[in-house]
Amino acid sequence: MSAFRMALGAALALSATVVPLCGMAQSTDSRLADYRERVDRLEDKDAIENLQAYFGYYFDKGLWDETADLFSAGGSFEYGQRGVYIGQERIRRALLLFGPEGLGKGYLNNHMMLQPIITVAPDGRTAMGRWQGMVQLAEPGANGVWGVGIYENEFVKERGVWKIAKLHFYVTALGEYDAGFMRGAQMMEGPSALFPPDRAPSEVYRAYPAAYIPPFSFDHPVTGQPLKDIPQPADDVVGRP
Amino acid sequence: MHLSSVRAELVEARSRPSTGSGQVALVAALALALAAAPASAQTAEERLDELEARITRLEDLNAIERLQKTYGYFVDKGQWTQLSELFTDDATLEIGGKGLFLGKGRVLEYMQTAFGPDGSKPGLLANHMQFQPIPDVSADGTTGWVRSRAYVMSNAGWGLPLYENAYEKGEDGIWRISRLSGPFTMYTSWEGWGKNALNNTWPDKFDPPPDLPPTTVYLTYPAYYIVPFHYPNPVTGEAFVPDKGEVGAYHRPPGTAEQAESLKVGRLADGTQPIAEPPKD
Repeated sequence: MSAFRMALGAALALSATVVPLCGMAQSTDSRLADYRERVDRLEDKDAIENLQAYFGYYFDKGLWDETADLFSAGGSFEYGQRGVYIGQERIRRALLLFGPEGLGKGYLNNHMMLQPIITVAPDGRTAMGRWQGMVQLAEPGANGVWGVGIYENEFVKERGVWKIAKLHFYVTALGEYDAGFMRGAQMMEGPSALFPPDRAPSEVYRAYPAAYIPPFSFDHPVTGQPLKDIPQPADDVVGRP
Repeated sequence: MHLSSVRAELVEARSRPSTGSGQVALVAALALALAAAPASAQTAEERLDELEARITRLEDLNAIERLQKTYGYFVDKGQWTQLSELFTDDATLEIGGKGLFLGKGRVLEYMQTAFGPDGSKPGLLANHMQFQPIPDVSADGTTGWVRSRAYVMSNAGWGLPLYENAYEKGEDGIWRISRLSGPFTMYTSWEGWGKNALNNTWPDKFDPPPDLPPTTVYLTYPAYYIVPFHYPNPVTGEAFVPDKGEVGAYHRPPGTAEQAESLKVGRLADGTQPIAEPPKD
Protein backbone atom coordinates (compact mmCIF):
# COMPACT_ATOMS: atom_id res chain seq x y z
CA MET A 1 0.00 0.00 0.00
CA SER A 2 1.44 3.38 -0.99
CA ALA A 3 2.06 6.27 1.33
CA PHE A 4 -0.62 8.19 -0.49
CA ARG A 5 -3.23 5.58 0.18
CA MET A 6 -2.28 5.40 3.84
CA ALA A 7 -2.63 9.14 4.17
CA LEU A 8 -5.92 9.03 2.37
CA GLY A 9 -7.13 6.25 4.59
CA ALA A 10 -6.11 8.16 7.71
CA ALA A 11 -8.03 11.22 6.57
CA LEU A 12 -11.06 9.14 5.83
CA ALA A 13 -10.90 7.27 9.10
CA LEU A 14 -12.45 10.44 10.51
CA SER A 15 -15.41 10.15 8.22
CA ALA A 16 -18.25 7.71 7.93
CA THR A 17 -17.33 6.92 4.32
CA VAL A 18 -14.26 4.91 5.24
CA VAL A 19 -15.76 1.53 4.55
CA PRO A 20 -17.04 2.07 1.01
CA LEU A 21 -13.85 3.86 -0.02
CA CYS A 22 -11.58 1.11 1.26
CA GLY A 23 -13.86 -1.29 -0.47
CA MET A 24 -13.41 0.74 -3.64
CA ALA A 25 -9.61 0.58 -3.37
CA GLN A 26 -9.76 -3.21 -3.25
CA SER A 27 -12.27 -3.52 -6.00
CA THR A 28 -10.17 -1.23 -8.20
CA ASP A 29 -7.35 -3.74 -7.92
CA SER A 30 -9.61 -6.66 -8.62
CA ARG A 31 -11.18 -4.86 -11.57
CA LEU A 32 -7.74 -4.07 -12.98
CA ALA A 33 -6.71 -7.70 -12.51
CA ASP A 34 -9.83 -8.82 -14.33
CA TYR A 35 -9.23 -6.42 -17.22
CA ARG A 36 -5.58 -7.36 -17.49
CA GLU A 37 -6.64 -10.97 -17.85
CA ARG A 38 -9.24 -10.15 -20.49
CA VAL A 39 -6.71 -8.10 -22.48
CA ASP A 40 -4.20 -10.96 -22.12
CA ARG A 41 -6.72 -13.35 -23.68
CA LEU A 42 -7.45 -10.93 -26.54
CA GLU A 43 -3.72 -10.60 -27.21
CA ASP A 44 -3.26 -14.37 -27.01
CA LYS A 45 -5.98 -14.86 -29.63
CA ASP A 46 -4.31 -12.35 -31.95
CA ALA A 47 -0.88 -13.90 -31.43
CA ILE A 48 -2.20 -17.36 -32.33
CA GLU A 49 -4.04 -16.07 -35.38
CA ASN A 50 -0.76 -14.51 -36.52
CA LEU A 51 1.24 -17.65 -35.70
CA GLN A 52 -0.93 -19.70 -38.05
CA ALA A 53 -0.55 -16.99 -40.71
CA TYR A 54 3.26 -17.10 -40.28
CA PHE A 55 3.09 -20.86 -40.71
CA GLY A 56 1.12 -20.45 -43.93
CA TYR A 57 3.48 -17.89 -45.46
CA TYR A 58 6.59 -20.01 -44.68
CA PHE A 59 4.97 -23.30 -45.73
CA ASP A 60 3.81 -21.75 -49.04
CA LYS A 61 7.37 -21.05 -50.09
CA GLY A 62 9.08 -24.19 -48.84
CA LEU A 63 10.94 -22.35 -46.06
CA TRP A 64 11.10 -25.53 -44.04
CA ASP A 65 13.51 -24.32 -41.35
CA GLU A 66 11.37 -21.30 -40.63
CA THR A 67 8.28 -23.50 -40.64
CA ALA A 68 9.71 -26.11 -38.25
CA ASP A 69 10.94 -23.39 -35.87
CA LEU A 70 7.30 -22.43 -35.16
CA PHE A 71 6.69 -25.77 -33.41
CA SER A 72 7.33 -26.54 -29.75
CA ALA A 73 10.16 -29.03 -29.14
CA GLY A 74 7.70 -31.91 -28.78
CA GLY A 75 5.21 -30.58 -31.30
CA SER A 76 3.50 -32.76 -33.89
CA PHE A 77 2.66 -32.32 -37.57
CA GLU A 78 0.02 -34.27 -39.47
CA TYR A 79 -1.12 -33.54 -43.03
CA GLY A 80 -3.99 -35.52 -44.56
CA GLN A 81 -3.19 -39.25 -44.44
CA ARG A 82 0.61 -38.91 -44.28
CA GLY A 83 0.76 -39.87 -40.60
CA VAL A 84 2.11 -37.98 -37.58
CA TYR A 85 5.64 -36.60 -37.26
CA ILE A 86 6.66 -35.80 -33.70
CA GLY A 87 9.33 -33.33 -32.61
CA GLN A 88 10.80 -30.31 -34.31
CA GLU A 89 13.68 -32.14 -36.02
CA ARG A 90 11.43 -34.89 -37.44
CA ILE A 91 9.05 -32.21 -38.72
CA ARG A 92 11.94 -30.30 -40.32
CA ARG A 93 12.77 -33.36 -42.46
CA ALA A 94 9.18 -34.41 -43.10
CA LEU A 95 8.49 -31.03 -44.69
CA LEU A 96 10.86 -32.00 -47.51
CA LEU A 97 8.12 -34.39 -48.66
CA PHE A 98 6.27 -31.27 -49.86
CA GLY A 99 9.12 -30.12 -52.14
CA PRO A 100 12.74 -29.02 -51.99
CA GLU A 101 13.86 -26.28 -49.58
CA GLY A 102 12.68 -23.00 -51.10
CA LEU A 103 10.55 -24.98 -53.60
CA GLY A 104 11.58 -23.99 -57.11
CA LYS A 105 10.37 -23.26 -60.60
CA GLY A 106 7.02 -24.81 -61.40
CA TYR A 107 5.97 -25.30 -57.78
CA LEU A 108 2.94 -23.73 -56.17
CA ASN A 109 2.23 -24.66 -52.56
CA ASN A 110 -0.31 -22.05 -51.43
CA HIS A 111 -2.12 -22.80 -48.20
CA MET A 112 -4.45 -19.93 -47.35
CA MET A 113 -5.51 -19.59 -43.74
CA LEU A 114 -9.10 -18.41 -43.42
CA GLN A 115 -11.91 -18.34 -40.88
CA PRO A 116 -10.02 -18.81 -37.59
CA ILE A 117 -11.94 -19.79 -34.47
CA ILE A 118 -9.51 -19.67 -31.55
CA THR A 119 -10.23 -20.82 -28.02
CA VAL A 120 -7.63 -19.83 -25.42
CA ALA A 121 -7.65 -21.83 -22.17
CA PRO A 122 -8.65 -19.76 -19.12
CA ASP A 123 -5.09 -19.97 -17.74
CA GLY A 124 -3.68 -18.59 -21.00
CA ARG A 125 -1.12 -21.41 -21.39
CA THR A 126 -2.72 -23.46 -24.16
CA ALA A 127 -5.16 -22.84 -26.99
CA MET A 128 -6.96 -24.56 -29.84
CA GLY A 129 -7.84 -23.21 -33.24
CA ARG A 130 -9.82 -24.20 -36.32
CA TRP A 131 -9.07 -22.75 -39.75
CA GLN A 132 -10.47 -23.23 -43.22
CA GLY A 133 -7.53 -24.06 -45.49
CA MET A 134 -7.85 -23.22 -49.15
CA VAL A 135 -5.10 -24.86 -51.20
CA GLN A 136 -3.57 -24.23 -54.63
CA LEU A 137 -0.87 -26.68 -55.71
CA ALA A 138 1.37 -27.23 -58.70
CA GLU A 139 4.43 -29.33 -59.40
CA PRO A 140 6.70 -29.26 -62.44
CA GLY A 141 5.16 -31.31 -65.23
CA ALA A 142 1.76 -31.72 -63.58
CA ASN A 143 -1.47 -29.81 -63.91
CA GLY A 144 -2.59 -27.49 -61.11
CA VAL A 145 -4.66 -28.74 -58.19
CA TRP A 146 -7.37 -27.12 -56.09
CA GLY A 147 -7.74 -28.27 -52.54
CA VAL A 148 -9.48 -27.48 -49.30
CA GLY A 149 -9.41 -28.75 -45.75
CA ILE A 150 -9.66 -27.95 -42.08
CA TYR A 151 -6.91 -27.23 -39.58
CA GLU A 152 -7.59 -28.28 -36.01
CA ASN A 153 -4.48 -27.18 -34.17
CA GLU A 154 -3.21 -26.87 -30.62
CA PHE A 155 -0.88 -24.22 -29.28
CA VAL A 156 1.27 -23.79 -26.21
CA LYS A 157 2.76 -20.67 -24.65
CA GLU A 158 6.37 -21.23 -23.65
CA ARG A 159 8.15 -18.39 -21.83
CA GLY A 160 5.61 -15.94 -23.17
CA VAL A 161 5.87 -17.11 -26.79
CA TRP A 162 3.09 -19.04 -28.53
CA LYS A 163 4.20 -22.14 -30.45
CA ILE A 164 2.43 -24.81 -32.45
CA ALA A 165 2.01 -27.89 -30.23
CA LYS A 166 -0.03 -29.88 -32.74
CA LEU A 167 -0.82 -29.12 -36.35
CA HIS A 168 -3.40 -31.35 -37.99
CA PHE A 169 -4.56 -30.45 -41.48
CA TYR A 170 -7.55 -32.56 -42.48
CA VAL A 171 -7.50 -32.38 -46.27
CA THR A 172 -11.15 -32.79 -47.31
CA ALA A 173 -10.99 -32.33 -51.11
CA LEU A 174 -8.35 -32.31 -53.85
CA GLY A 175 -9.27 -31.78 -57.47
CA GLU A 176 -7.56 -31.30 -60.78
CA TYR A 177 -7.61 -27.66 -61.88
CA ASP A 178 -9.42 -28.04 -65.22
CA ALA A 179 -11.65 -31.01 -64.51
CA GLY A 180 -12.76 -29.91 -61.06
CA PHE A 181 -13.76 -32.02 -58.08
CA MET A 182 -16.53 -34.03 -59.74
CA ARG A 183 -14.47 -35.29 -62.68
CA GLY A 184 -10.96 -34.82 -61.34
CA ALA A 185 -11.01 -35.68 -57.63
CA GLN A 186 -7.61 -36.82 -56.36
CA MET A 187 -6.69 -39.07 -53.47
CA MET A 188 -4.54 -37.95 -50.57
CA GLU A 189 -0.95 -39.12 -50.25
CA GLY A 190 -0.45 -41.93 -47.74
CA PRO A 191 2.48 -42.33 -45.29
CA SER A 192 5.87 -41.92 -46.96
CA ALA A 193 8.00 -45.04 -47.50
CA LEU A 194 11.13 -42.87 -47.78
CA PHE A 195 10.65 -41.09 -44.47
CA PRO A 196 7.94 -42.92 -42.54
CA PRO A 197 5.96 -41.05 -39.90
CA ASP A 198 6.28 -41.69 -36.16
CA ARG A 199 2.65 -42.69 -35.91
CA ALA A 200 -0.05 -43.85 -38.29
CA PRO A 201 -2.71 -41.25 -39.23
CA SER A 202 -4.66 -40.35 -36.11
CA GLU A 203 -7.85 -40.44 -38.15
CA VAL A 204 -8.44 -42.73 -41.14
CA TYR A 205 -10.78 -41.07 -43.64
CA ARG A 206 -11.14 -40.31 -47.33
CA ALA A 207 -11.27 -36.90 -48.99
CA TYR A 208 -13.98 -35.95 -51.53
CA PRO A 209 -16.15 -37.64 -52.80
CA ALA A 210 -16.40 -38.92 -49.22
CA ALA A 211 -17.91 -36.38 -46.84
CA TYR A 212 -15.80 -36.64 -43.70
CA ILE A 213 -16.41 -33.90 -41.10
CA PRO A 214 -13.23 -32.85 -39.28
CA PRO A 215 -14.23 -32.80 -35.58
CA PHE A 216 -14.88 -29.39 -34.04
CA SER A 217 -12.64 -28.38 -31.11
CA PHE A 218 -14.82 -25.47 -30.06
CA ASP A 219 -18.19 -25.45 -28.34
CA HIS A 220 -21.35 -24.04 -29.92
CA PRO A 221 -21.09 -20.26 -29.44
CA VAL A 222 -24.75 -19.89 -28.39
CA THR A 223 -25.78 -23.14 -26.67
CA GLY A 224 -22.32 -23.89 -25.26
CA GLN A 225 -22.80 -27.54 -26.23
CA PRO A 226 -19.72 -29.47 -27.38
CA LEU A 227 -19.58 -30.13 -31.14
CA LYS A 228 -17.15 -33.07 -30.85
CA ASP A 229 -19.72 -35.78 -31.47
CA ILE A 230 -21.33 -34.65 -34.70
CA PRO A 231 -22.12 -37.91 -36.54
CA GLN A 232 -19.93 -38.85 -39.49
CA PRO A 233 -21.49 -40.02 -42.74
CA ALA A 234 -21.14 -43.71 -43.55
CA ASP A 235 -18.03 -44.77 -45.46
CA ASP A 236 -17.86 -48.39 -46.61
CA VAL A 237 -14.17 -48.25 -47.57
CA VAL A 238 -13.12 -46.98 -44.15
CA GLY A 239 -15.69 -49.32 -42.62
CA ARG A 240 -17.78 -46.71 -40.83
CA PRO A 241 -21.49 -47.55 -40.59
CA MET B 1 -13.36 23.57 -2.65
CA HIS B 2 -15.90 22.50 -5.18
CA LEU B 3 -16.80 18.83 -5.33
CA SER B 4 -15.76 18.42 -8.96
CA SER B 5 -12.31 19.87 -8.35
CA VAL B 6 -11.75 17.33 -5.58
CA ARG B 7 -12.72 14.67 -8.05
CA ALA B 8 -10.26 15.97 -10.63
CA GLU B 9 -7.49 16.17 -8.04
CA LEU B 10 -8.03 12.58 -6.94
CA VAL B 11 -7.83 11.39 -10.49
CA GLU B 12 -4.65 13.33 -11.03
CA ALA B 13 -3.16 12.16 -7.74
CA ARG B 14 -3.84 8.53 -8.50
CA SER B 15 -2.18 8.73 -11.88
CA ARG B 16 1.20 10.11 -10.71
CA PRO B 17 3.73 9.31 -8.00
CA SER B 18 1.99 10.57 -4.91
CA THR B 19 4.35 12.79 -2.94
CA GLY B 20 4.41 16.47 -2.12
CA SER B 21 2.02 19.18 -1.20
CA GLY B 22 -0.75 18.23 -3.58
CA GLN B 23 -1.34 15.17 -1.49
CA VAL B 24 -1.54 17.13 1.74
CA ALA B 25 -3.96 19.57 0.16
CA LEU B 26 -6.05 16.69 -1.09
CA VAL B 27 -6.21 15.03 2.31
CA ALA B 28 -7.20 18.36 3.86
CA ALA B 29 -9.86 18.85 1.24
CA LEU B 30 -11.23 15.39 1.85
CA ALA B 31 -11.34 15.95 5.57
CA LEU B 32 -13.39 19.08 5.00
CA ALA B 33 -15.73 17.60 2.44
CA LEU B 34 -16.97 14.27 3.70
CA ALA B 35 -19.34 13.94 0.80
CA ALA B 36 -16.41 14.13 -1.56
CA ALA B 37 -15.22 10.63 -0.79
CA PRO B 38 -17.86 8.62 -2.67
CA ALA B 39 -17.81 11.19 -5.47
CA SER B 40 -14.05 10.76 -5.81
CA ALA B 41 -14.48 7.03 -5.80
CA GLN B 42 -16.93 7.36 -8.66
CA THR B 43 -14.39 9.13 -10.79
CA ALA B 44 -11.86 6.35 -10.54
CA GLU B 45 -14.73 3.99 -11.21
CA GLU B 46 -15.65 5.97 -14.29
CA ARG B 47 -12.18 5.50 -15.70
CA LEU B 48 -12.42 1.80 -15.04
CA ASP B 49 -15.89 1.75 -16.56
CA GLU B 50 -14.50 3.30 -19.71
CA LEU B 51 -11.70 0.74 -19.84
CA GLU B 52 -14.19 -2.06 -19.34
CA ALA B 53 -16.40 -0.72 -22.14
CA ARG B 54 -13.44 -0.75 -24.52
CA ILE B 55 -12.46 -4.30 -23.58
CA THR B 56 -16.06 -5.44 -23.85
CA ARG B 57 -16.32 -3.88 -27.30
CA LEU B 58 -13.27 -5.83 -28.51
CA GLU B 59 -14.73 -9.03 -27.07
CA ASP B 60 -18.08 -8.27 -28.72
CA LEU B 61 -16.47 -7.72 -32.13
CA ASN B 62 -14.68 -11.07 -31.72
CA ALA B 63 -17.89 -12.80 -30.66
CA ILE B 64 -19.72 -11.49 -33.71
CA GLU B 65 -16.96 -12.63 -36.06
CA ARG B 66 -16.92 -16.01 -34.34
CA LEU B 67 -20.67 -16.40 -34.93
CA GLN B 68 -20.29 -15.67 -38.62
CA LYS B 69 -17.37 -18.09 -39.01
CA THR B 70 -19.26 -20.78 -37.13
CA TYR B 71 -22.23 -20.25 -39.44
CA GLY B 72 -19.85 -20.91 -42.35
CA TYR B 73 -18.51 -24.16 -40.86
CA PHE B 74 -22.05 -25.41 -40.25
CA VAL B 75 -23.07 -24.61 -43.83
CA ASP B 76 -20.03 -26.51 -45.15
CA LYS B 77 -21.07 -29.81 -43.61
CA GLY B 78 -24.83 -29.39 -43.17
CA GLN B 79 -25.16 -28.91 -39.41
CA TRP B 80 -28.57 -27.29 -39.86
CA THR B 81 -29.86 -27.79 -36.31
CA GLN B 82 -26.72 -26.27 -34.79
CA LEU B 83 -26.83 -23.55 -37.46
CA SER B 84 -30.39 -22.55 -36.56
CA GLU B 85 -29.35 -22.31 -32.90
CA LEU B 86 -27.06 -19.42 -33.85
CA PHE B 87 -30.16 -17.31 -34.57
CA THR B 88 -32.50 -15.28 -32.35
CA ASP B 89 -36.08 -16.57 -32.11
CA ASP B 90 -37.33 -13.74 -34.35
CA ALA B 91 -34.38 -13.66 -36.75
CA THR B 92 -34.78 -13.21 -40.50
CA LEU B 93 -32.91 -15.08 -43.21
CA GLU B 94 -32.57 -14.05 -46.83
CA ILE B 95 -30.18 -15.79 -49.21
CA GLY B 96 -29.75 -14.77 -52.81
CA GLY B 97 -33.09 -13.77 -54.32
CA LYS B 98 -35.08 -16.41 -52.47
CA GLY B 99 -37.10 -14.09 -50.24
CA LEU B 100 -37.37 -13.70 -46.47
CA PHE B 101 -37.78 -16.47 -43.90
CA LEU B 102 -39.03 -15.34 -40.51
CA GLY B 103 -37.97 -16.94 -37.24
CA LYS B 104 -35.47 -19.53 -36.06
CA GLY B 105 -37.86 -22.38 -36.85
CA ARG B 106 -38.19 -21.33 -40.47
CA VAL B 107 -34.41 -20.98 -40.79
CA LEU B 108 -34.12 -24.65 -39.85
CA GLU B 109 -36.99 -25.69 -42.13
CA TYR B 110 -35.52 -23.79 -45.06
CA MET B 111 -32.07 -25.34 -44.66
CA GLN B 112 -33.35 -28.88 -44.19
CA THR B 113 -35.82 -28.65 -47.06
CA ALA B 114 -33.60 -26.87 -49.56
CA PHE B 115 -30.34 -28.73 -48.79
CA GLY B 116 -31.42 -32.03 -47.21
CA PRO B 117 -31.32 -33.41 -43.67
CA ASP B 118 -28.53 -32.68 -41.16
CA GLY B 119 -25.12 -34.06 -42.04
CA SER B 120 -22.63 -34.04 -44.89
CA LYS B 121 -23.44 -35.96 -48.06
CA PRO B 122 -20.99 -38.09 -50.09
CA GLY B 123 -20.30 -36.46 -53.45
CA LEU B 124 -21.29 -33.03 -52.18
CA LEU B 125 -18.76 -30.29 -51.54
CA ALA B 126 -20.29 -26.94 -50.55
CA ASN B 127 -17.65 -25.04 -48.60
CA HIS B 128 -18.62 -21.46 -47.79
CA MET B 129 -15.23 -20.08 -46.79
CA GLN B 130 -15.80 -17.00 -44.64
CA PHE B 131 -13.45 -14.04 -44.69
CA GLN B 132 -12.93 -10.25 -44.84
CA PRO B 133 -15.29 -9.36 -41.98
CA ILE B 134 -16.00 -5.75 -41.01
CA PRO B 135 -17.74 -6.02 -37.63
CA ASP B 136 -19.31 -3.11 -35.75
CA VAL B 137 -21.15 -2.77 -32.46
CA SER B 138 -23.72 -0.15 -31.46
CA ALA B 139 -22.82 2.38 -28.76
CA ASP B 140 -24.98 0.57 -26.20
CA GLY B 141 -23.25 -2.71 -27.04
CA THR B 142 -26.39 -4.72 -27.76
CA THR B 143 -26.57 -4.65 -31.57
CA GLY B 144 -23.88 -5.66 -34.00
CA TRP B 145 -23.33 -5.79 -37.74
CA VAL B 146 -20.95 -7.53 -40.10
CA ARG B 147 -20.18 -7.03 -43.73
CA SER B 148 -18.26 -10.07 -44.87
CA ARG B 149 -18.07 -12.51 -47.71
CA ALA B 150 -17.85 -16.15 -48.52
CA TYR B 151 -16.03 -17.81 -51.39
CA VAL B 152 -18.00 -20.91 -52.25
CA MET B 153 -15.91 -23.87 -53.43
CA SER B 154 -18.30 -26.61 -54.45
CA ASN B 155 -18.28 -29.73 -56.56
CA ALA B 156 -20.47 -27.85 -59.06
CA GLY B 157 -18.35 -24.70 -59.30
CA TRP B 158 -17.75 -21.38 -57.59
CA GLY B 159 -19.90 -18.81 -55.87
CA LEU B 160 -19.63 -15.43 -54.18
CA PRO B 161 -22.21 -14.46 -51.59
CA LEU B 162 -21.79 -11.23 -49.68
CA TYR B 163 -23.18 -10.77 -46.18
CA GLU B 164 -24.67 -7.74 -44.46
CA ASN B 165 -25.85 -9.28 -41.21
CA ALA B 166 -27.16 -8.03 -37.88
CA TYR B 167 -26.57 -9.52 -34.43
CA GLU B 168 -28.11 -9.05 -30.99
CA LYS B 169 -26.65 -9.52 -27.55
CA GLY B 170 -29.27 -11.18 -25.38
CA GLU B 171 -29.93 -10.47 -21.72
CA ASP B 172 -27.88 -13.60 -21.07
CA GLY B 173 -24.86 -11.80 -22.58
CA ILE B 174 -24.75 -14.12 -25.61
CA TRP B 175 -24.62 -12.83 -29.17
CA ARG B 176 -26.94 -14.32 -31.78
CA ILE B 177 -27.63 -13.67 -35.47
CA SER B 178 -30.75 -11.53 -35.78
CA ARG B 179 -30.62 -10.96 -39.55
CA LEU B 180 -28.74 -12.97 -42.10
CA SER B 181 -28.72 -11.34 -45.48
CA GLY B 182 -26.64 -13.04 -48.16
CA PRO B 183 -27.12 -11.45 -51.56
CA PHE B 184 -25.24 -13.19 -54.37
CA THR B 185 -22.52 -11.51 -56.39
CA MET B 186 -21.58 -14.31 -58.79
CA TYR B 187 -22.23 -18.03 -59.24
CA THR B 188 -20.70 -20.16 -61.95
CA SER B 189 -20.12 -23.78 -62.95
CA TRP B 190 -16.67 -25.37 -63.08
CA GLU B 191 -16.23 -23.73 -66.49
CA GLY B 192 -15.60 -20.45 -64.66
CA TRP B 193 -17.22 -17.02 -64.81
CA GLY B 194 -15.56 -16.22 -68.11
CA LYS B 195 -17.79 -18.77 -69.79
CA ASN B 196 -20.72 -19.34 -67.51
CA ALA B 197 -22.77 -17.24 -65.08
CA LEU B 198 -25.77 -18.53 -63.20
CA ASN B 199 -28.71 -16.23 -62.71
CA ASN B 200 -29.75 -15.17 -59.25
CA THR B 201 -32.08 -17.49 -57.36
CA TRP B 202 -35.70 -16.44 -57.11
CA PRO B 203 -38.63 -17.23 -54.81
CA ASP B 204 -40.84 -19.47 -56.96
CA LYS B 205 -38.13 -21.92 -57.99
CA PHE B 206 -37.60 -23.92 -54.83
CA ASP B 207 -39.16 -25.25 -51.63
CA PRO B 208 -40.13 -24.13 -49.08
CA PRO B 209 -41.70 -20.83 -50.19
CA PRO B 210 -40.52 -17.74 -48.28
CA ASP B 211 -42.70 -15.82 -45.80
CA LEU B 212 -42.07 -12.54 -47.60
CA PRO B 213 -40.78 -11.59 -51.05
CA PRO B 214 -37.14 -10.49 -51.48
CA THR B 215 -36.27 -7.16 -49.83
CA THR B 216 -34.69 -6.01 -53.06
CA VAL B 217 -34.49 -7.26 -56.58
CA TYR B 218 -31.20 -7.52 -58.39
CA LEU B 219 -29.30 -9.73 -60.78
CA THR B 220 -25.98 -11.45 -60.23
CA TYR B 221 -22.88 -11.22 -62.41
CA PRO B 222 -22.63 -10.20 -65.25
CA ALA B 223 -25.17 -7.73 -63.86
CA TYR B 224 -23.95 -5.57 -61.05
CA TYR B 225 -25.43 -4.76 -57.65
CA ILE B 226 -23.96 -2.73 -54.79
CA VAL B 227 -25.11 -4.13 -51.47
CA PRO B 228 -25.67 -1.14 -49.11
CA PHE B 229 -22.94 -0.68 -46.49
CA HIS B 230 -23.88 -0.69 -42.79
CA TYR B 231 -21.00 1.73 -42.06
CA PRO B 232 -19.77 5.08 -43.37
CA ASN B 233 -16.45 5.49 -45.14
CA PRO B 234 -13.93 4.94 -42.32
CA VAL B 235 -11.72 7.85 -43.40
CA THR B 236 -14.17 10.54 -44.45
CA GLY B 237 -16.97 9.45 -42.13
CA GLU B 238 -19.42 10.00 -44.98
CA ALA B 239 -22.15 7.47 -45.63
CA PHE B 240 -22.31 6.11 -49.16
CA VAL B 241 -25.81 6.88 -50.35
CA PRO B 242 -26.56 5.34 -53.71
CA ASP B 243 -29.01 7.27 -55.81
CA LYS B 244 -32.05 5.38 -57.00
CA GLY B 245 -30.35 4.62 -60.26
CA GLU B 246 -27.55 2.83 -58.46
CA VAL B 247 -29.75 0.53 -56.43
CA GLY B 248 -30.53 -2.82 -57.93
CA ALA B 249 -29.26 -4.43 -61.05
CA TYR B 250 -26.72 -3.16 -63.51
CA HIS B 251 -25.71 -4.54 -66.81
CA ARG B 252 -22.38 -2.74 -66.46
CA PRO B 253 -20.48 -0.86 -63.74
CA PRO B 254 -21.61 2.68 -62.89
CA GLY B 255 -20.30 5.47 -65.06
CA THR B 256 -20.35 3.52 -68.30
CA ALA B 257 -22.66 4.33 -71.20
CA GLU B 258 -24.06 0.80 -71.10
CA GLN B 259 -25.00 1.23 -67.47
CA ALA B 260 -26.67 4.58 -68.15
CA GLU B 261 -28.67 2.89 -70.90
CA SER B 262 -29.68 0.07 -68.57
CA LEU B 263 -31.25 2.57 -66.17
CA LYS B 264 -33.96 3.27 -68.74
CA VAL B 265 -34.86 -0.33 -69.39
CA GLY B 266 -37.51 -2.14 -67.42
CA ARG B 267 -36.78 -0.61 -64.05
CA LEU B 268 -39.12 -0.33 -61.10
CA ALA B 269 -39.81 2.89 -59.21
CA ASP B 270 -37.08 2.15 -56.65
CA GLY B 271 -34.49 1.70 -59.37
CA THR B 272 -34.36 -2.11 -59.19
CA GLN B 273 -35.09 -4.44 -62.05
CA PRO B 274 -37.63 -7.24 -62.03
CA ILE B 275 -36.28 -10.74 -62.03
CA ALA B 276 -36.67 -12.32 -65.42
CA GLU B 277 -35.84 -15.59 -67.07
CA PRO B 278 -32.12 -16.25 -67.30
CA PRO B 279 -30.51 -14.93 -70.49
CA LYS B 280 -30.92 -17.36 -73.38
CA ASP B 281 -27.36 -16.86 -74.56
